[in-house]
Amino acid sequence: MSSKALIIIVLAIVLSVALLSLAYMLFTSEKQVVLRVLTTTSLYATGLLDRLAEEFSREHPNIVVQFIAVGSGEALRKAELGDADLVLVHAPSLERKYLEKGVIYCGKIFAYNYFVIVGPRNDPANIAGLDPIEAMKKIYEAGERGYAKFVSRGDNSGTHVRERMLWKKAGLNPKGKPWYIETGSGMSQTLMVANEYSAYTLSDIGTYLKFSSKLTELKVLVDKGDILVNMYSAYLVRESKNEKYAKMFIDFIVSDKGQEIIGCYGREEFGRPLFYPVKTASIEELKRMWNELAEE
Amino acid sequence: MEGLYQEVLAITLRTLWISGTATILAISWSIPLSLILISSKNRISIFIQDFFNALISLPTVVLGLALYLILSKSGPLGFLGLLYTPLAISIGQSILITPILVSMITSSFQKLRDEVWETAITLGASEFQASIALLREGTLLLIRAILAGFNRAVGELGVALIVGGNIKGFTRVLTTTIALELTKGNFELAIYLGIVLLTLSTIVTVAIRSLGLRGAYR
Repeated sequence: MSSKALIIIVLAIVLSVALLSLAYMLFTSEKQVVLRVLTTTSLYATGLLDRLAEEFSREHPNIVVQFIAVGSGEALRKAELGDADLVLVHAPSLERKYLEKGVIYCGKIFAYNYFVIVGPRNDPANIAGLDPIEAMKKIYEAGERGYAKFVSRGDNSGTHVRERMLWKKAGLNPKGKPWYIETGSGMSQTLMVANEYSAYTLSDIGTYLKFSSKLTELKVLVDKGDILVNMYSAYLVRESKNEKYAKMFIDFIVSDKGQEIIGCYGREEFGRPLFYPVKTASIEELKRMWNELAEE
Repeated sequence: MEGLYQEVLAITLRTLWISGTATILAISWSIPLSLILISSKNRISIFIQDFFNALISLPTVVLGLALYLILSKSGPLGFLGLLYTPLAISIGQSILITPILVSMITSSFQKLRDEVWETAITLGASEFQASIALLREGTLLLIRAILAGFNRAVGELGVALIVGGNIKGFTRVLTTTIALELTKGNFELAIYLGIVLLTLSTIVTVAIRSLGLRGAYR
């Protein structure tokens, strides 16, 4: 009697596990093609990508686009491990490294905007309107004297890479200074930290605009200069088995329709677009700047 | 608002489904393992029990990272294509809660063992039959362990984020949604989802408590 019960229990468990895994297999192995896109957080958090994917799926109902939001550094590293079909990133110097390794190929710049240096409203380091590199020097000086702080992403994201480049061009190294705070988290959290500490930080304009209502202590102080151009590029991943479909997605976002969505996104809510489509600038000019940035 | 409500509902159901699967998976090996550990009194079984006790506080991000490297395309199990699927989260969570299940079952059954197990063996029952008698007597304790495991699975973030990828409509669960909405600055929605999560785990905790009390009075 007891051993019968035992057999029934064991059978029931085995059956339920088997059924569940079967259900999962049916659930996951649909006939649709799944495109895995590793994307930088700043693009994803604005909601632009969901909007693009929605439009893309309308044209290609058999392709499901799945976004996984990580930093640019993480995205490229994971692409190297073969865990994505596409990457959307904004760190030219990192991109070049992975291009040379042969991990990614067939890159296209599909949108751009600007990085801005934001800081406390009273601007203790006096950087408003300065050239970005001069501004970094002033922040360093003020930091050393103890009346300014700087908050860094510290996560090898595109923004962090750009920030390090600015420090390097200014010939300074703030790492380890008491006024230099590394958050290791996303742009929005970093902005919130900067807001709490009344500190300076480098942000992409899109995330800053999206959050500006919550950032009562901060304002944009520096937003001019070629070195602040923020270019988003899409790449195919060498290891991907869905190359054909991945290419279709890239073609879509650089098409007139995709570019129009990018150019309009956020205009209603913020009074200005969060991203500029590449056709509003000359692509040669952008490529020249990309090459300059990738040199670093 | 209508769409938002539906999405929250879908995410909540997905969370229950994924963590429920994780719990069932964990039960399927935790119960036999616990019974084996209880029935043998040698050093190895004590060592294994200590080992599982230590693993209870295993950080979810560490487990998530380890699983990521295993399930990644270039990892040893990459050919299964499990990374960034709900099943990957379920597997991760089932591993995460196994130590809790095993520790809770073994520690609470050890008391019962002296009465039930020894009596059954003395009366001439086989080890299998004694195990069944033990399970029958300890049903409430068992359910309590299972609910505790489920609670831990529902509330964890690290594994779901790293091996699930927080893909909209596919692997997005309550905890990863809260993390994402925080990133987006939608604190209101994050709080709303937090309340849903808290309600879920409170219901489970209350259930554990009441079962525990009833078990103690038996």
